Amino acid sequence: MIATAMSNGAKADAKPAAEHDIKITGRDVRVFYGDKEALHGVDVDLRDREVTSLIGPSGCGKSTYLRCLNRMNDTIAGCRVTGSLMLDGKDIYDKSIDVVQLRARVGMVFQKPNPFPKSIYENVAYGPRIHGIASSKADFDAIVENSLRKAGLWNEAKDRLDQPGTGLSGGQQQRLCIARAIAVSPEVILMDEPCSALDPIATATIEELIDELRENFAIVIVTHSMQQAARVSQKTAFFHLGNLVEFGETRQIFTNPVDTRTQAYITGRIG
Amino acid sequence: MTDIAADSFSITSSDARARNARALDSSRLRARYGAEKRFRVYGAAAIVFGLVFLAWLFGSLVIQGTGAFRQTQIRVAVELDAGELGLSGTPDREALEKAEYQAALRASLRKTLGVGSDRGERRDAYALLSNGADLEIRSRVLADPSLVGKTINLWLTAGADVDTMLKGNISRDVPENKRRVNNRQIAWLDKLAADGRVGRHFNANLFTKGASSDAELAGMGVAIVGSLYMMVVVLLVALPIGVAAAVYLEEFAPRNRWTDVIEVNINNLAAVPSIVFGLLGLAIFLNVFGMPRSAPVVGGLVLALMTLPVVIIATRAAIKAVPPSIREAALGVGASRMQVITHHVLPLAMPGILTGTIIGMARALGETAPLLLVGMVAFVVSQPATPFDPATALPVQIYMWAGASERAFVERTSAAILILLAFLITMNATAVILRRKFERRW
Ligand SMILES: Nc1ncnc2c1ncn2[C@@H]1O[C@H](COP(=O)(O)OP(=O)(O)OP(=O)(O)O)[C@@H](O)[C@H]1O
Ligand SMILES: [Mg+2]
Repeated sequence: MIATAMSNGAKADAKPAAEHDIKITGRDVRVFYGDKEALHGVDVDLRDREVTSLIGPSGCGKSTYLRCLNRMNDTIAGCRVTGSLMLDGKDIYDKSIDVVQLRARVGMVFQKPNPFPKSIYENVAYGPRIHGIASSKADFDAIVENSLRKAGLWNEAKDRLDQPGTGLSGGQQQRLCIARAIAVSPEVILMDEPCSALDPIATATIEELIDELRENFAIVIVTHSMQQAARVSQKTAFFHLGNLVEFGETRQIFTNPVDTRTQAYITGRIG
Repeated sequence: MTDIAADSFSITSSDARARNARALDSSRLRARYGAEKRFRVYGAAAIVFGLVFLAWLFGSLVIQGTGAFRQTQIRVAVELDAGELGLSGTPDREALEKAEYQAALRASLRKTLGVGSDRGERRDAYALLSNGADLEIRSRVLADPSLVGKTINLWLTAGADVDTMLKGNISRDVPENKRRVNNRQIAWLDKLAADGRVGRHFNANLFTKGASSDAELAGMGVAIVGSLYMMVVVLLVALPIGVAAAVYLEEFAPRNRWTDVIEVNINNLAAVPSIVFGLLGLAIFLNVFGMPRSAPVVGGLVLALMTLPVVIIATRAAIKAVPPSIREAALGVGASRMQVITHHVLPLAMPGILTGTIIGMARALGETAPLLLVGMVAFVVSQPATPFDPATALPVQIYMWAGASERAFVERTSAAILILLAFLITMNATAVILRRKFERRW
């Protein structure tokens, strides 16, 4: 799989793969903040059970792109998205799509751990509760345990489920946020620099976790750490000044980039 | 010092050396320290100045007002003779309610003091006790009808002049014709005191009774209940409307010229003099809607209008202070906008909202001017049973008593101020405690 970067508008030509394998297809995605165009036509295909990392210098539009995928941009006044983004063949921006349901299918983990100021249990149970996924106490207990286990937090949290989530350490809080996201059984998980507020050990834990979660979810992760992208992702997209410059196999991007800008970035000359 | 050393180390030009030398010049240093010290002294002086006035205010209130919390009473052996009471046989409740307690009391009093049949002497004797003393006997008998026929020793409220004199506020050196208590009465009081029949007890009337022209029977009960009703109305009206308005403005309203105009006007409204709200209430609630005068519900509505901008501003500030990361987190797991607000934003903003509301209500509690215009300056004797019955308010009661010249009312004015201040301090302290307790939970 080779990505060809074009001089303007960066068309990444993902080679057609087995149809069921592609989770989200994006074509010519442009984002405007007021009159300013922040993303200039981005084409990316995200596959199921695969980690895609978005890299690039600060302000290049990684977060903006990520937030298109679960329509978090809707909450920003004056933000407009054009182009097409298909989740399982259905347009995410179609009028018939309910944002609330979309966000249940496309979960998100933020840069700064942001647990609710409620108990650990409530943090995880909140999503299932508002979506009506579970009804009995036993169901909730099962979902909470299962999600915390998947997020690798069960052993540390099982004895303090009724204590506030904000009382955990930074790394634990971030894993709690991951547990909260997977509690509603999403299909895609978006992570915006999930480790940037964490120490190296907590980071390593989260990276292992991402690798395990890959078995069940499509994951998109924004990161500033090239090593992290190389360690956890199978695909990498390099953004620069609102353009998708290059998109392809992580190994290829890091060892044999096609575009000179990519090369300059991964060798530390832009950024 | 290390700063300067580092500086002179790195900057080598002679210019910089000269500058450093000047900075180190001891006279400049002394001037700088001197200025700092003077500033601190000015600040401390300003605070001392403020505290002195505060202490003076509180001191004079306490000195003048504490007397009102205790009321002089005279112990009289009351003969509840059935004949004197005008009762016969086994009286029913109605007969007991209408019995001649005053006659019985007066007879007993005459006996205690040894008063003959002289009219003037009798009048002086009766004036020792309050006009309401017979009612105190009545309530005793109604509570226990078996007392009829017995003689009971009762502490009865003394007249206001007697009370004032015994508290030392009428001097015996004043010539008799200028004194409100004459020599004969003083002689009786001295004898009663020698017999241990004069004492001072907690003045329950102050907290239960309504308006009265007899100071010893005047209380703030009506005003307290009236103020309470008004605060309930303020809470029920201003809190939901204020919170709804603030939530709409913060979370839903588009940012355009209209919302800017609304925002500016809300801020202006908070600064509108309270009397203007009183006029508004008079024009709308009384004249247009024909609501009753002097009713706490009208006063409460006027105060609610006045408190509304305070609640809106406090709520908006509290909503703004909820970190965006919490909203994002909730939106991220698929909460709707309404769910974000009701599940996360409002609970987190609630301490701030309540603090603002309590402070607004405390302001409303002390407000007098708008209440004058809706007829809350009224001589209301009986407790209002509902918010639609006539009542007064605490600050209005203070205003009315402050106009009376009798010494006993002066005392009660100060006591009323102390009670109002106690309410205000309690409310503000609650606000502070709320704020402290819930500060930064994320
Ligand atoms: N809410 C907003 N309103 C206006 N412009 C915005 C907004 N958010 C982002 N932008 C602009 O869009 C561009 C892309 O921003 P974005 O946050 O996506 O960058 P990023 O790649 O995530 O950067 P970083 O690595 O620093 O997080 C930037 O030029 C930024 O100034
Ligand atoms: Mg970003």
